[in-house]
Amino acid sequence: MRAAINRVIGSQETGLVVVVLLVTITLTLLAGTHADRQTGQLVNNFLNSNTLIQTATDTSFFAIMAIGATVVIISGGIDLSVGSIYALAGVTMALLLRHFGPMGAWPTVVIGLLMCTGVGLLCGLLNGALVVGLRVHPFIITLGTMWVLRGIAFVASKAESILVPQALTSVTKASLGLAGGGLYPVPMLCMLALTVLGAIYLTKTVMGRHVFAFGGNLEASRFAGLSLKSIQIGVFAVSGITAGFAAFLGASFYGSASSGDAQGYELYVIASAVVGGASLVGGKGSAVGATLGAMLIVLIRQSIRTLHFDQNYEWIVIGCAIIVAVVIDRWSTGVTTRRLGRATEATRAAA
Amino acid sequence: MQMARRCVALTLGVVVLACGGKGSEGAKDTAAGARPTAKAGDGKITIAVIAKSSNNPVFLAARTGAEAAAKDISQKNNLDVRVVWLTPPQEDGQVQAQRIQQAVNDGADAILISCSDAGKVTGAINDAVDRGVAVMTFDSDAPQSKRFAFYGVDDLKTGQTTMAELAKLMGGKGKVAILAGNQNAPNLQRRVQGAKDEAAKHPGMQVVGTFNHIETPQDAAAEVIRVDNAYPDIQGWAMVGGWPLFTSTLLTDLNPARIKVVAVDALPAQLAYVEKGIAPVLLAQPVYLWGYVGVQTIIDKIHFKKEVPPVIPMELVRVSKANLGEWARQLKAWGFTDVPPSYLSM
Repeated sequence: MRAAINRVIGSQETGLVVVVLLVTITLTLLAGTHADRQTGQLVNNFLNSNTLIQTATDTSFFAIMAIGATVVIISGGIDLSVGSIYALAGVTMALLLRHFGPMGAWPTVVIGLLMCTGVGLLCGLLNGALVVGLRVHPFIITLGTMWVLRGIAFVASKAESILVPQALTSVTKASLGLAGGGLYPVPMLCMLALTVLGAIYLTKTVMGRHVFAFGGNLEASRFAGLSLKSIQIGVFAVSGITAGFAAFLGASFYGSASSGDAQGYELYVIASAVVGGASLVGGKGSAVGATLGAMLIVLIRQSIRTLHFDQNYEWIVIGCAIIVAVVIDRWSTGVTTRRLGRATEATRAAA
Repeated sequence: MQMARRCVALTLGVVVLACGGKGSEGAKDTAAGARPTAKAGDGKITIAVIAKSSNNPVFLAARTGAEAAAKDISQKNNLDVRVVWLTPPQEDGQVQAQRIQQAVNDGADAILISCSDAGKVTGAINDAVDRGVAVMTFDSDAPQSKRFAFYGVDDLKTGQTTMAELAKLMGGKGKVAILAGNQNAPNLQRRVQGAKDEAAKHPGMQVVGTFNHIETPQDAAAEVIRVDNAYPDIQGWAMVGGWPLFTSTLLTDLNPARIKVVAVDALPAQLAYVEKGIAPVLLAQPVYLWGYVGVQTIIDKIHFKKEVPPVIPMELVRVSKANLGEWARQLKAWGFTDVPPSYLSM
């Protein structure tokens, strides 16, 4: 029991939770107050339900994609096409729903969800098949499909921003009984659900353990008889599905889809995974870490606005924060490895 | 122990944040350097300005205009009008929607926005209005939203005028290309449509193509050079935005004896093209007024409770050699610091 508690306290995710909490406290203390429009009472500029849910909503689209991207990164690969998959999935859903015309609310939602995740799955399978079939590094393949998929979205949509049916927006903007205007918890709840599913997939299923084995030691996995091709195709499929799901949420929440959506988001997504503890050499990472990494990046972005710093410094601050987080993580890992090494040597010497 | 190390990471992160964020005291987000803390009615009014992107000079002029209007109105009416700049670093309708939500959450009284993607921001605008925040659009509208007014040019007419001026310069005949900027921007799509409609009225003119590009001066100039090489018989460019003329590249790469350019916008960097005869006509949007008139209209609506028309048309200003000096002085008066002095005395 004590060992389990120690393991939780010492885990990377606990460290990230502490960091997120400390940033939250810092923002709360420095944010100042404003008069609430409805009640006239003074409310904290950061610690209020609207801003917190808004921050969680902004996080959710990155975090959901980051969970899928983390699975790819754990396998030792990388997926640069998640932003383009997001755009193509959203555009396909919007075009087809427009083509089908009005239908009931739930059929619209179900068809929309299936379309987005279906397109995401197909794109992921394509990435995986190309990586395995052509034996080209995922960086190159997904760099190529990043352009191809966005190009298809552009041609298909004729550069139009296509409105999605109101039924989708009503679902993703449901208040779920929360009082007050502007509180939309659905994207946040989806993010939490996907994080739990991702954590279960990675830690409790055979497939998840295979991904760690594949990324941690390819040769050992080969000798253990794992189906390496299926694992590699599978991780891209998971990444595609999460990008498609994020597209469903994003297009529904904001009410339209266009070929320009999520441009550059792949870098935020990869940054979220890396800040969340995923190792680009493979074998390390977690769904919870990816979500916390996305949360930390969005919090840093939010803090620039909440504290009214100059917006022009946003990219510099985010870039520095990512480097600092990763360097500290590597330093921490190095220290732990050296300590373990010393302990092993001491044990051997004693024996 | 490991957790303690994570806390060190936080400390470093916060230091990085603080150092980066406070790098420019002169460039704070608000005109008065304060965060939105007040409500309309007690004399303090906060207006969030969300343009399309921070790296486009036309929106920086709009920001200057908005801040000048806030200062003028505050002095004349004993008010405390503050402008908060919430423009994303690059065009992204989704980020704009997030910034609208943030402005509302921060207690802004009104929002002035140029929409990168009307479909993406319409829901957020409607939410803001439902929560009691007045929203006005400029430059690029969201006509299906609950915004109370739009201020900007008629894009179809702007495209038509651009091509009509080019046709006049070319004697109604020759091959032309259209430079079109971001393919996803609905206002630019309408300008292109207007340009094509006008070209169809001139049987001697042939449009060889419409060329999109990333909206940076370098990318736009590179696209013009690429197309110029690929179509050596082009005699005219109808540019529905002035992007490539924000660089000096085309001053040497385009031959004014062979090619004529008519472009929308007339910022200081573009004036040399008029003087050299490469762009004999520029169609200026008084971009400073986006911010100035926008803030003024918002104050009229929310403070003075005046009736405001839903569409306030902005008229283009035709800039040529004949009025180059006058226009340069106007730009200078609007706060542009990079107007070449030689034009001020013309």
